[in-house]
Amino acid sequence: MIARLSGRLGRNILLLSALLFFGVPVLWLFLATTKTSDQLRNDAPMSFGSFEQIGIAWSHLIGYNDGIIATWTLNSILYTLGSMVIALLACVPAGYGLAKFRFRGRGVVLFLTLVTMVVPSAALILPLYLQMSAVGLTNTPWSVILPLAFYPFGVYLVYLFAATTIPDSVIEAARLDGLSEWGIMMRIFLPLAVPVIVMVAFFAFVNAWNAFFLPYIMLTDSDLANLQTGLQLLMRNTNALGGANFTGIPIREPEIALAAIVSVSPILLIFLFAQRHLVAGQTAGAEKG
Amino acid sequence: MTSVKMVARRPRRRATGWSFVALYVVLLVAFGVVPVIYAIVTAFFVTPVVGPTYFSLLDNFAAVLADYRLPVAAVNVAMYLLIWLPLLLVVVFVIALVLDAKRTRLGALTRFISYVPGAVTGSAAALLWLFMFSPAVSPIGPLLAPLVGANGIIISDSSLPMILAVMGVAIGAGGWIVMLYGALTAIPPELIEAARIDGANVWQQALHIKLPLIRSYVAFILIVSFAAGFQVFVEPQVLGTGARGQVSSTWSVNQLVYSYASGESNYGRASALSVLLLIITVTAAVIIIRKTKFYSIDGRS
Repeated sequence: MIARLSGRLGRNILLLSALLFFGVPVLWLFLATTKTSDQLRNDAPMSFGSFEQIGIAWSHLIGYNDGIIATWTLNSILYTLGSMVIALLACVPAGYGLAKFRFRGRGVVLFLTLVTMVVPSAALILPLYLQMSAVGLTNTPWSVILPLAFYPFGVYLVYLFAATTIPDSVIEAARLDGLSEWGIMMRIFLPLAVPVIVMVAFFAFVNAWNAFFLPYIMLTDSDLANLQTGLQLLMRNTNALGGANFTGIPIREPEIALAAIVSVSPILLIFLFAQRHLVAGQTAGAEKG
Repeated sequence: MTSVKMVARRPRRRATGWSFVALYVVLLVAFGVVPVIYAIVTAFFVTPVVGPTYFSLLDNFAAVLADYRLPVAAVNVAMYLLIWLPLLLVVVFVIALVLDAKRTRLGALTRFISYVPGAVTGSAAALLWLFMFSPAVSPIGPLLAPLVGANGIIISDSSLPMILAVMGVAIGAGGWIVMLYGALTAIPPELIEAARIDGANVWQQALHIKLPLIRSYVAFILIVSFAAGFQVFVEPQVLGTGARGQVSSTWSVNQLVYSYASGESNYGRASALSVLLLIITVTAAVIIIRKTKFYSIDGRS
């Protein structure tokens, strides 16, 4: 009885500490936007300031550098949607083609896809930068959009789906009905593959939206920055993080916290509403082990 | 997977197959293969301080390996990995096993909340943890008191491995916990029931039945995390921006590559070092693909 009680107590203590460890930082970030810089330093750490303060921080943020944060947001949207659309146009036929046709070079393409998928993107970014600067594309939106459009994980997901869930007999039947190979993909495969296409779109979106290293190194013009790199520029060019405010720019800790929330808000919303799918994707492949 | 049959073997379909993968292969070659080849080639061209660029198989590599900043950066990254990887494994496995031992509302909430920090990534995450380790504003300010240096700042070259490790666990653990929890719920209940009848208590069930069944994930989590952590760039770069002058601009190996390329415009050395890094990461990737069952294609793993 005592053992069981202490077991339950231990378990609950462990879960509660995990809850605090994972929950407090994110909660703090939200609370920080409701307080002034002084309140942040002097009030209780997890206290709530006021809703008006969020509005004040917001107007400070919008006012910074003639509203450059709006430009950064538009850039983020452009880079994300642009690379996502190209990634889908490339991934869906490629995954289907690799699963349903045997052609010379197929094995090489598959192997390179796996390798580039597992190698973390940071490993390729500096070589990419050298290549982009050799062809004079650095500091253009293309230097961010095109590398992000190369999304081997998307090919892998479509490939798995096509190889395991679309029976060859369906394709053979369509072929006998006189459909062309591309016609089969468009009219038979696409409607069946909607769930996996949505999943690829969604991962490509998250991947592109979160990109930091790539735009950081490719783009030197602050008008081209996305929200992730803009946030860093905001930190670097103001006295936001402690110390006297020599610049006189009203960007302090609460404004920076607000900018951080703005920069991750689409991802945060996706996480809240589509948790299950994210996990499903993370374990894709793993479940066959 | 062995049962996957290819539809077509007739020659005319070879070209059709290629038409489907063409756009992707262009991207794969342009942004996956060419940069690597270009980096390898560039690594052989040396730009001396004076005089023209010349070709040498070894000079750039020798110069990079002799750079006093490389061992410092390598030790930094190694320290970070040594703290982070074991901590991550312990947190992930303990929480997943505890969550699975008994389904409660608190457990479900923990599972969900542990996943949320994963949404705050990149520079926003680095910023958040910059705040968490700033004694003046941190919600755990009093706990941090023993870590504060003479200048009133915690973040420094030597404290960064610990800070990055804590950050890495907070951001990455949730995804793995949910994945392992999924693997645990897939264990047949009869197996656990049989162990229970044989007199195994909850601890023994976890240790002797469940843990061995999810052991294959250890290697997977370790190698994926190693490959990512080894290339660490964003976090020390952004933390360094926030904690001005406290973090070396060449703290991690990837930052050293960046410094060669952008600070010193020495593309040869930047390429040489990124090629060395790539060899290690690609090896890790090939190990995952070949030795674990997580990514299999056409039945071979």
